[in-house]
Amino acid sequence: MSQRSISVVKPGLETTVQELPGRIGFLEQGFPVSGPFDAWSFRQANLLVGNDRDTAALECQFLGPTLRFDCNAVVAVTGADMRPSLDGVPVAMWSSHVVRAGQVLALGPAYSGARAYVAISGGVDTPVVLGSRAVFHMAGVGGRALVAEQVLPLGVAGPTTLDAPALTIPEALRPRFATDRRWDIEALAGPNDDWLSPEAVEMFFSSDWAVQAKSNRTGIRLTGPEFGFAHRAIHKNSDHGQEPSNIIDHGYPLGAVNLAGQTPIILVNDAPSTGGFINPFTVASAAFWKLAQAKPGDILRFRRIDRAEAGRLRAELGRVTSPGVTALA
Amino acid sequence: MATKRIESPLPGVIYLSPAPGEPVFKAPGDSVAVGDTLALVEVMKSYMPVEADQAGIFRGYLVETETVLEPGEPLCELEV
Repeated sequence: MSQRSISVVKPGLETTVQELPGRIGFLEQGFPVSGPFDAWSFRQANLLVGNDRDTAALECQFLGPTLRFDCNAVVAVTGADMRPSLDGVPVAMWSSHVVRAGQVLALGPAYSGARAYVAISGGVDTPVVLGSRAVFHMAGVGGRALVAEQVLPLGVAGPTTLDAPALTIPEALRPRFATDRRWDIEALAGPNDDWLSPEAVEMFFSSDWAVQAKSNRTGIRLTGPEFGFAHRAIHKNSDHGQEPSNIIDHGYPLGAVNLAGQTPIILVNDAPSTGGFINPFTVASAAFWKLAQAKPGDILRFRRIDRAEAGRLRAELGRVTSPGVTALA
Repeated sequence: MATKRIESPLPGVIYLSPAPGEPVFKAPGDSVAVGDTLALVEVMKSYMPVEADQAGIFRGYLVETETVLEPGEPLCELEV
């Protein structure tokens, strides 16, 4: 049997192969978990094409790729609206489409949101590195972003695919993108909120934070008001460093709001696992998809939640990305 | 002669000069050749050039530097 594959005509802007749960178990060696930034859209794309929801698929950022299919397949595009077309004919997002060998799927720029996902029946079958196909582009772990003329091997598709009726995700079950450029982000205080003044903790949860263009899969960099610090941040052992936001090197949780001087940077999928800045707040994993879809200039407001609510949100995200959420188109 | 509006090819922050304090890429009346850089779009810590795909005479920018533009929003005008 010949290898199924797709060929990259135009790579888009840093399009990568991503897979869940990501590269687990190597944080202590400095390998981030990677994986899809918006796991909600990613999993629904996989479900639409009959894959296991965690199967390797493409993450497209801000400007999507153009792909030529070397075999028949079922595809779905979810996430940011990149106005996909098949041989020049527009096709619906959040729906499955049969693609014949030789056809070309083209994505444009992101008209809403920032990241789109392209799932293909059988999944992308690039080599597994340290337990995952997820790409950490900056260090070239698991591969890098797509380049023109690259051929991506696909896995073996299930038996049902090509003859199966077209599927869609009902609108009520899709992630809802902000239309006013404002996003409510659920976050927890800690681990280092006691290094800030109590006023600064309140200020964080009551202020507008603008997403900088200097944001990527490593960190979402924010602009906003100045932080005040607690006594312990200012009067501390010199081992911790000179700046109030310095602390002796420690582990960084995924989703940490890392404070470098006065600039908060949310540490996301490709972030470093250790360093010497405090992490006064942590974004709930169920809110990551919103960080993935926020564009430069969008405003984040943080809503304080506790661990129990973070767990409930996580469970809810699991439910809307489970088999059975698809409907006949 | 016709006026052509050049749009931002992707969402991001627009810069009208190569670096802070430097002159803008094009001033009204400048000639534009295919491939000339008209502006930079910053997204994901990278700067992508917006290049002219047609030759003409530059008429002017329609936005200020550091404006956040969506794809399809007009950036500048050319006489082609």
